[in-house]
Amino acid sequence: MSAFDEFDQERQAIDSLLLQGYTVTGIFEDLDGARVRFIPSEPAGEPVELLLLTADARKHVTTLIFGGSKPASPIGTHT
Amino acid sequence: MADLSIDFAGIKSPNPFWLASAPPTNTGYQVQRAFEAGWGGAVWKTLGEPVINTSSRFAAVHFGGQRVAGFNNIELITDRPLEVNLKEIYETKKRFPNNTIIASLMVEPKQEKWHEIVKRVEAVGVDGLELNFGCPHGMAERGMGAASGQQPDLVQAQTAWVKEVATTPVIVKMTPNITDITVVARHAVKGGADAISLINTINSLAGVDIHSWNTIPNVGGQGAHGGYCGPAVKPIALSMVAECARDRAVGVPISGIGGISTWQDVVEFMLMGSTGIQVCTAVMHHGFRIVEEMIDGLNNYLDEKGLASVMELVGKSVPKYSNWGDLDLNYKVVARINEDNCINCNKCHIACEDASHQCIDMLTNAEGKAILQVREEDCVGCNLCSIVCPADGAIDMVALDSGVAPMTWNQRNQVISGLNGSYSEAEVG
Repeated sequence: MSAFDEFDQERQAIDSLLLQGYTVTGIFEDLDGARVRFIPSEPAGEPVELLLLTADARKHVTTLIFGGSKPASPIGTHT
Repeated sequence: MADLSIDFAGIKSPNPFWLASAPPTNTGYQVQRAFEAGWGGAVWKTLGEPVINTSSRFAAVHFGGQRVAGFNNIELITDRPLEVNLKEIYETKKRFPNNTIIASLMVEPKQEKWHEIVKRVEAVGVDGLELNFGCPHGMAERGMGAASGQQPDLVQAQTAWVKEVATTPVIVKMTPNITDITVVARHAVKGGADAISLINTINSLAGVDIHSWNTIPNVGGQGAHGGYCGPAVKPIALSMVAECARDRAVGVPISGIGGISTWQDVVEFMLMGSTGIQVCTAVMHHGFRIVEEMIDGLNNYLDEKGLASVMELVGKSVPKYSNWGDLDLNYKVVARINEDNCINCNKCHIACEDASHQCIDMLTNAEGKAILQVREEDCVGCNLCSIVCPADGAIDMVALDSGVAPMTWNQRNQVISGLNGSYSEAEVG
């Protein structure tokens, strides 16, 4: 799998949660990657944790938080 | 034609081209010939206690067909008596009153020794003093040169002793053989330095003869570490100049030294904060007359840029020299291969496969021709393919709009730490 595909899978997982109303409430990084904690908008919902392995996904999630937690429009491939 | 004259810490010079303190500035004969060739100034080869040099003493690193890509020496300061040097400085200054003569000085770290040499040298009419706290070999073993320059307090103290009696501007020349050059630069300024010059030579061993097993150079079969200079050291020098230039606690004019061989090198050093430059190795390789090309090239460049004075270049690129933590992580460039110029040598493919991100595919186009194509989504913009490409114009690095706002590492960490403020590792673990 290309590096982009690995990133793209993780990016979709992040964006999907954000589109469902989840909010990032914590990012804890170690040698294995970044554990990103999401909480749902409904009080009864369960928090979710994603383990991000790719550098680009780590950059993506912090870029979203930096820009206001909105998923960016999908990045097209360039030819 | 632009004005090439500079004002370096109050020292006037007809142009920014000075000879560094080194073998080319050993005698009045040499310095006068240099001035006749067009050099604006010369830093007279370091004056100090008469010493004895070794034979041999120079070595060069030739690389990839280029002679003298790097140069190494174990020569010490002048081995001529002070009186002889002073007489020749006096005569040279008298004959070339508009050219700049700086006396490079090195003595033991004793106040009275510094006072004595400063008074004697200034009496013959030098325009300034350069304190040699940089030479890494020979004199350093006796507590001078880099041995002094690696001790910030000693740099400060000796500079202060010189300033107690000096009537001309004092330049402190620094060693690169230190972790953070700005620490020494700041201490030089605290000691009263009017300017700094950098870099002196870098600790080195030019090579080993694989047949005789002798070091290069060797003195009767024995070698010692020497000082490295020449084109190979330019990036190191440029970065150290930049570090000092952007440090507000330094804040004094800089004389840039290190691998300068062309007018383009001069422009780079001046843009990165040097008010003037010093040259040695290029003269040792090509002779004094290389200054003619430097002067012509700099003049043409200034005219093309519409600049009236070379002083307008000084420091213009310093604001562009930043910290890694302030770089935009979302800036994106990718490689694009231009089929018209590509010679299908596949060097880019190999480099990318073996050393980067495996994003250059070997394909066949509709006409059955072999082509190389970058998968841009996988390209990290590392530049490696364009660096190894031997065909001009075959690979362009193109900036893309990443579609997201700029974000630096520092901003990222701020966001994460703010986010994590109310959680502990245990809570989410």
